[in-house]
Amino acid sequence: MRLGASAVVAAGLLAVGGGSVGLILASQSGYTSPRVAPAVRLPVPLGTVLGTPSPAVVKPVPGPAELTIPAIGVRTSLIRLGLTKTGALQVPPTAAIAGWYTGSPAPGAVGSAVIAGHVDSYAGPGVFYRLRELRPGDRIYVKQQGGTLAVFSVSSVDLYRKSQFPTSRVYGPTPTPELRLITCGGTFDPQLGSYLSNVVVYSVLSG
Amino acid sequence: MITPKALRRRITFLLAAGLTALGLFAFAAPAAMASPTVIAGSTGWLRLAHLSPNTPAVDVYLYSLGNSNAKVVLKHVSYGTVSPYQTVAAGSYVVAMRAAGAAAGSPPVLSTSIKVVAGHAYTVAGMGPKSGLRLQVLDDTLTTPPGRSLVRVVQASLAQTTVTVTAGSQVLAHSLAFGSVTSYQSVAPGTWKVTVAGQSKSASKTFTLTADTTHTIVVLDDPGNLELVDLTDAAGSSALPAGAAGTGFGGMVSRPGSSPLPWAAAVALGLIMVSLGGLRLRRAGVRGSHSR
Repeated sequence: MRLGASAVVAAGLLAVGGGSVGLILASQSGYTSPRVAPAVRLPVPLGTVLGTPSPAVVKPVPGPAELTIPAIGVRTSLIRLGLTKTGALQVPPTAAIAGWYTGSPAPGAVGSAVIAGHVDSYAGPGVFYRLRELRPGDRIYVKQQGGTLAVFSVSSVDLYRKSQFPTSRVYGPTPTPELRLITCGGTFDPQLGSYLSNVVVYSVLSG
Repeated sequence: MITPKALRRRITFLLAAGLTALGLFAFAAPAAMASPTVIAGSTGWLRLAHLSPNTPAVDVYLYSLGNSNAKVVLKHVSYGTVSPYQTVAAGSYVVAMRAAGAAAGSPPVLSTSIKVVAGHAYTVAGMGPKSGLRLQVLDDTLTTPPGRSLVRVVQASLAQTTVTVTAGSQVLAHSLAFGSVTSYQSVAPGTWKVTVAGQSKSASKTFTLTADTTHTIVVLDDPGNLELVDLTDAAGSSALPAGAAGTGFGGMVSRPGSSPLPWAAAVALGLIMVSLGGLRLRRAGVRGSHSR
């Protein structure tokens, strides 16, 4: 009788102890992100700065070569992006590099140029991981082929559910030279294997 | 053998430990991504133009309605000048023209009010002859039919009071009177020889009209001649990508670790076992002391 009860108590203690350890481990192993180094503030790129285009002179603007965002430590060369078979925006094949949508005007020309990059890869942060940390007034530098810099100033940072993506606002025509940076954000749906929202940074050429 | 008292203390400790573990778990759970600050983008665009041939240079002021501090001041704007577009918050504005160099507080020669709707662009132009100078607000179109170019013509030549403007064989403006504006017309993209013909003068210029761009072609007096200027009103993408962008693989997402439920169940079961076993031990102990 005494032995039986002691055995029950001992088993119970083991269960409580083991369960507690398991709970602690489960709570610590879960809900953690891979560690990311803090953003490095990059130096501002130097070069001839593109002025606001005179309305009467329509000079062709060369395509972009490199993107630098000092505030969030981004510096990447730019690949060319088109559309997928379904008409969606093509995205870079790796998370380490951003791309310019060739159907949009060149950054620095009149209209809204579009550059897209991944927020993360399967394993770690992507080139646009810190895009959502940008604030109005932050500068974005696009070095054109030929070396001229088009300098943009962030006007707003918006988060849209992908199901309610404002296509015409993001990709639509504008009368001034503007630049949109696009990446993913919001909740990640493991079933779909994709984020449910897009982060869009709006910026305008600062003369 | 553990005494009932020690056992009770032990149970209390374990209960506390279990609850602490549960508490830790509850704190660790809500590690959601903070969303970026959302700033409403309700802006439109305005540009200012001087298109009155015999009116001397002017200073142009842009005020937001009810604010006497000018938002934009363009000094010494002469005939044929068009400013770049200014991005302005949607709302009501007043555009005022004063003679070049006149005091900012002096009464303007001309003024007009304009309502800027978010996402729309406007040209405010001084038009007509000096004797009948007026400020005209033009609605600028931003969007083209897919793959096309849109072109309109502003007739600002006083020397040739009516002009006809063509792009290749397409007529953009037919006998357009001085001081008037055509509506936009769809043109196939390409490099066009644009010709303006007045009563006694004509001129030609080559313009490249890219797909998905809108243009205003202005006919100006160039002393003794006609001049053509091509203004780009807006440019868009050659094709609007469908839907959103798939720009993430999920590697930076916080994932739940192993489910805490089995562990919580084990703790609960253990606690039940300990308390039941403890009760039984205690009763057995009580009975034992009685029998002695």
